[in-house]
Amino acid sequence: MSQSASPPTVLDIEAEQLGKIYARALLGAAQAAGSTESVLEELGEICDRGLRGHPELLAAFASPRVDMTEKSRIIDRLFGDASPVLVQLMKVMARRGRLGYLAAVRTSAVEQYDEFAGRVVAEVRTAVPLDDVLRTELTNQLAQKLGRTVRLREVVDERLIGGMVVRVGDTVFDSSVASRLDKLGRAAKAGFAHQLLTHSERFSSAT
Amino acid sequence: MKFNSDEIASVLQAEIEQFDSKIEVREVGTVLEVGDGIARVYGLFGVMAGEMVEFPNGATGLAFNLEENSVGVIILGDYLTIREGDEVKALGTLLSVPVGEEVIGRVLDPLGNPLDGKGPVQSELTRPVEVIAAGVAERQPVTEPMQTGIKAIDAMTPIGRGQRELIIGDRKTGKTSIAIDAILNQKGKGVKCFYVAIGQKDSAVASVVDVLERHGAMEYTTVVAAGASSPAPLQYVAPYAGTAMAEHFMFNGGHALIVYDDLSKQATAYRQMSLLMRRPPGREAYPGDVFYCHSRLLERSSKLSEELGGGSLTSLPIIETLEGEVSAYIPTNVISITDGQIYVQPDLFFAGVRPAMNAGISVSRVGGAAQTKAMKKVAGGLRLQLAAFRALEAFAQLGTDLEPETQRDLDRGYRMVELLKQPQYQPMSVNEQVISLYAGTKGFLDDIDVKSVRHFEAGLLQFVHDKYTSLLQKMDQENALSDEIVEGIEKAIKDYKSTYKPVESAV
Repeated sequence: MSQSASPPTVLDIEAEQLGKIYARALLGAAQAAGSTESVLEELGEICDRGLRGHPELLAAFASPRVDMTEKSRIIDRLFGDASPVLVQLMKVMARRGRLGYLAAVRTSAVEQYDEFAGRVVAEVRTAVPLDDVLRTELTNQLAQKLGRTVRLREVVDERLIGGMVVRVGDTVFDSSVASRLDKLGRAAKAGFAHQLLTHSERFSSAT
Repeated sequence: MKFNSDEIASVLQAEIEQFDSKIEVREVGTVLEVGDGIARVYGLFGVMAGEMVEFPNGATGLAFNLEENSVGVIILGDYLTIREGDEVKALGTLLSVPVGEEVIGRVLDPLGNPLDGKGPVQSELTRPVEVIAAGVAERQPVTEPMQTGIKAIDAMTPIGRGQRELIIGDRKTGKTSIAIDAILNQKGKGVKCFYVAIGQKDSAVASVVDVLERHGAMEYTTVVAAGASSPAPLQYVAPYAGTAMAEHFMFNGGHALIVYDDLSKQATAYRQMSLLMRRPPGREAYPGDVFYCHSRLLERSSKLSEELGGGSLTSLPIIETLEGEVSAYIPTNVISITDGQIYVQPDLFFAGVRPAMNAGISVSRVGGAAQTKAMKKVAGGLRLQLAAFRALEAFAQLGTDLEPETQRDLDRGYRMVELLKQPQYQPMSVNEQVISLYAGTKGFLDDIDVKSVRHFEAGLLQFVHDKYTSLLQKMDQENALSDEIVEGIEKAIKDYKSTYKPVESAV
């Protein structure tokens, strides 16, 4: 399951709230049907491939001028083979005029399901792509430290030069070469300035 | 001069060797929007109110509003290069500034960065900017005098160490001059002075620094400047930062004097931030907690108990009024917080009465206990006399014939007003003040022409310094007006008067 690499920079409180509510309902219904995993996967598919790839579809979903029956027809035609729970959710959302918030529902649903299943997403930034050995070791280490199942989201960022940066929630563990060099630079500068002010005569010979 | 590159390299090598790199663990958030010196940040869920955060461009911020879905951060520095999506790092500490002897003689910004080009402040010590003031048990009453060197103030509205005395008045009425005179007068008295400039023209701050330097006052003074071009958050933080630096001396048993010039601009900066943060506006659009903003600041001025070293922090907040309107929101707030106010008026100022203090409505609620005995004796009742004179003067303008007794009171009043005038940047010692005021209140000036009063006073003081040094020494030792000293003063005045020749009015 791939997600956007950078965290969202637009905070739509209304969308977040609505997303949470519909996501809870969806998870409840999917669990009752016993198909949570597949429903979430299909929802991800619809959001990533269907909506992001076709802005006009998203616009149609969000538009109040496209009426409810028309939206239902689109849903049936395009996503008719999706699981019935999902189709129902989309129809309910269409009826309530909330179909434009489908992406928010997906984000919340993934979050809530991870929370429920005791999983966390760890974003790993490295200068070069991870190999399988490192990946499993990192996953195990993190799982041990955090006491949860860890899902890695890998990002390659050449600016780090080396080392890695792991982000879990809002906490960042930074051992990248770039940040260490930066810190070293600052420490040296401050220390040198201190020396320069206290023993300025050391650095110059009066000739 | 040649630079020694080997030495430079060896210092850098030592720094690199000492550097130990650990995995850095930090809490981060993401900038959602930024503008007007304020950023809204998503994430940072564990951040404390008032905690410092850092932006990628090196600017620090202060977590100001903790909301359900985001954190409102005020940016103390350059906010023009911060962008949406930038990572914000929580630093895990409260905002603090460097303190100690090293800050003395410097011109700093509210974060302790140098503005005077003399390099960073080399102090190991820091102090949080926002601390809660000392409690009841940690204090003692104000009893020591804090001489401002201004006759009118030391006589009528005396200030004690640990007191908060407000200087209030319209623009261009000499508020800053009073505060500067008070700083100049602390020379050699072991009082560290702090001048906090908030929202002032940078040219005005530069001229204050110049005056302080010319009078040798920068040796014991720190200037904390957040000029009119500084972002509002810096102007808001400046008085707290200055107070933190001053408190360091107070808690180490020393004495400090801090001038906030001026708090109305700080309130304006706080209003701007609060409105941008969408806190609900109240009266005059100030936020609801603007009173607390000033009261928690001024409450930090105190006289500590002997167990805590007996240090003190005296503050002289300045408030600028519009058209003499003291019943506006901020002036009434600060008047009610402080232990008295010196009210300066434009009409007095332009009539040549400088300092333009209105004796009738200026008060000092605790300073009386802090006056020296000698001063108390000569100046007691002076304030009421002067207020009565003002009333009489208004009546006399009607042109009615006056009884000789009334006329005498009136004449005495004119001379006292003349005597209380004092030029800028020339603070007087207590003894000089006592001799001057004694001459005035005991009627020794009654037969001197009103226009010559100041000339007579200057001559008298010079005469006493030249011929009666033993009298001044005795006054220093006793600090009270014994009969012997009174005799000495009267003798000196009579001596001088017998030789005094009034200046021929040249005009």
